[in-house]
Amino acid sequence: MTKSPIPYPRFPGFDVMEQAKHWDQVTRELVESRLQPPDGDSFFSLSERAVAATLCDQLTGQHEDPRIPVVQMIETRLAANRTDGWHHADLPPDRRTWQQSLRNLDADAHEAHGTDFPTCSLDQQAQVLTSIQKTSGLWHGLRADEVWNLWMRYVCAAFYSHPWAWNEIGFPGPAYPRGYKNIGMNRRESFEVGQEHPEQGPVPHQ
Amino acid sequence: MSRVRDRNNSAWLLPTDGTRTNHRQRREMRRYAESDEVDVVVVGCGAGGATVIQRLARAGFSVVGFDAGPFWDPDTDWVSDEAGSHDLFWTDPRVISGTDPVPLGANNSGRGVGGSMVHFAGYAPRFHPSDFQTATLDGVGADWPINYEDLEPYYQDMEEELPVAGEHWTWGKPHSYPHRPHPVGGNGEVFQRGAEAMGLTAKVGPVATTNGRFGNRPHCIYRGFCLQGCKVNAKASPLITHIPDALAHGAEIRPDSMVSRIAVDDRTGKATGVHYISDGVEHFQRAGTVVVAGYSIETPRLLLNSRSALFPDGLCNNFDQVGRYLMVQGAAQTSGRFESEIRKYKAPPPEVSCEDFYETDPSKPYKRGFSLQTVAPLPVTWSEHLTAQGHWGADLRRRMTDYVHWASFGTLCELLPQADNRVTLDPQTDQHGLPVANFSYSMCDNDRQLLDAAQTTMEEMLRAAGAAETITIKRFAHLVGGARMADDERHGVVDADCRSFAVPNLYITDGSVLPTQGSANPALTIMAVAARAAEGMIKSAQAQSAQT
Repeated sequence: MTKSPIPYPRFPGFDVMEQAKHWDQVTRELVESRLQPPDGDSFFSLSERAVAATLCDQLTGQHEDPRIPVVQMIETRLAANRTDGWHHADLPPDRRTWQQSLRNLDADAHEAHGTDFPTCSLDQQAQVLTSIQKTSGLWHGLRADEVWNLWMRYVCAAFYSHPWAWNEIGFPGPAYPRGYKNIGMNRRESFEVGQEHPEQGPVPHQ
Repeated sequence: MSRVRDRNNSAWLLPTDGTRTNHRQRREMRRYAESDEVDVVVVGCGAGGATVIQRLARAGFSVVGFDAGPFWDPDTDWVSDEAGSHDLFWTDPRVISGTDPVPLGANNSGRGVGGSMVHFAGYAPRFHPSDFQTATLDGVGADWPINYEDLEPYYQDMEEELPVAGEHWTWGKPHSYPHRPHPVGGNGEVFQRGAEAMGLTAKVGPVATTNGRFGNRPHCIYRGFCLQGCKVNAKASPLITHIPDALAHGAEIRPDSMVSRIAVDDRTGKATGVHYISDGVEHFQRAGTVVVAGYSIETPRLLLNSRSALFPDGLCNNFDQVGRYLMVQGAAQTSGRFESEIRKYKAPPPEVSCEDFYETDPSKPYKRGFSLQTVAPLPVTWSEHLTAQGHWGADLRRRMTDYVHWASFGTLCELLPQADNRVTLDPQTDQHGLPVANFSYSMCDNDRQLLDAAQTTMEEMLRAAGAAETITIKRFAHLVGGARMADDERHGVVDADCRSFAVPNLYITDGSVLPTQGSANPALTIMAVAARAAEGMIKSAQAQSAQT
């Protein structure tokens, strides 16, 4: 499985894995492993995992398969306790913050919509998250902005390390031992793909 | 044979067959017994520690260098990938607090032989002469017990040993670099264009990356993964610039060994060696002199964890100076959107600098200044720039597809040293049962004014270069201070020669000793200070042996 489903196709035909043969072995094996079904240790309970999976789907806009397995990648990290090397004094360490915040998220869904977070409609889920993101100060006793930041850090580190995400943004991935020959504005390597409608940007400018 | 090779043969000790590590040298490395009293143990093999190890080994000292992390092999340990580079960073638990808490880990903390320079971008500017007397000149910060001229010869030596590439430098005290400036990519072109449109000066460099062959180190290949460890051996880190020469002169590197406590004889008041943990087992290495170079978080933590009858509040902490005056630079990054493709991931992130705003401007309400440089976040890091604007979900994904059109600049603002910005011990413990560091950080008004001014300048430059839209992420970079040098023990932890006031055979030779930080990336200055301290240690040992 090397082709990704891209909902935002701006680099038609671009597939970084076509270049994998030019990468050093250690890097190639690492990136290729991300295309295999994740086999890391588990960390979440069944109910935590369901909430976490829905949260990750929302934060990455992935609502159908095949998905970049963000929740599994996060779970592997948490099982190994591979943190970023710091946590806020007013938050528990990352593992506990994840568990606690998932429970709180589910509680918010029950309060607002009378059902578990994963069984809410997509719009209801988004409403719950928007209200957390807009909270200034504490959310269930934790700093809302710090919890949101923790979620986004883990989610984006997983999502944007996956080659499908690189295809989506036109990033050719590893570059060793080959490096780049054509540096400078509007200069491409033979394996870089141009964009359709570069003048438009991803969203209309205000 | 060139002069630099006479002084430091490291680049010529690396392999020539396309691999990056001299395995034979490591296999045949001298090994000392724990029962031997070695002349010197050095705690930490980064910019400060490795420099001292190399200098002392060359002068004939028996030296053992400890590092909590691995003895890296770039071929097998490092990848051309962001998420896969997680182990380059210090990720043991640490707590951050204060009104402006500073993220650690990938942001500023290395682990393993080579230290944070393994993942630093590569900028290697000097400090300006004014940085050494900000109290006298501007009434803020502190005066160093040494001045620019004291460090200048060591700056020159280090620029040759790394080596540093760049244009002739007209800021601070003007000087040239041993390697020519690198060609610039799209991001650098935008910086140059913006500076020119605003009447500012932009200079290519200074970066500690080979431009041309240097010894057995090859030319940079512009692959853009400087922050993930240079697999090419083109970007400098002590792993390749100082450790090979140290090994050739009989130094031992003991990796994966976490020093937990410095031992001090209660009767003589002198350090006797270090306790360390390797493979879960505690060991003790005897030494005549102890040099601490664990950087601004771990050095204070180690001192505070080294309590004894003589030092009940932590080693060298008689006057409550350990851990204080810890500094970070305000390092906001501003990005601008261009219709052209920038593809900033091509070429090294460090390309072009501007130091026009480095010095105090009497017409401004704030003291000191800031520098401006190119930065080039890769996808995971770039996503942080967008999530910082509040984007998530489908909105984030769509905006990320625009990656190739954005150029990014970064500032380094000289945030001022403050006594309460400090490391203390937290009740939480690490995997060895040692209390972890709590780093509390809060900005002052001058800091906030500088940050605003720097952000405005970056926005103006990007717009002057043609950007249609700009976004900014507020962040911090680098660490210095925490065990600063001073005239006396009431104002700092070490003297001008990096010798601790409290323990005559204990030195600190890392970024913690810096009393101010300027707006310059600190690596070169840390190495220069360490090289100067090593020379002092060598001279004092020679004087002692002449007496006896």
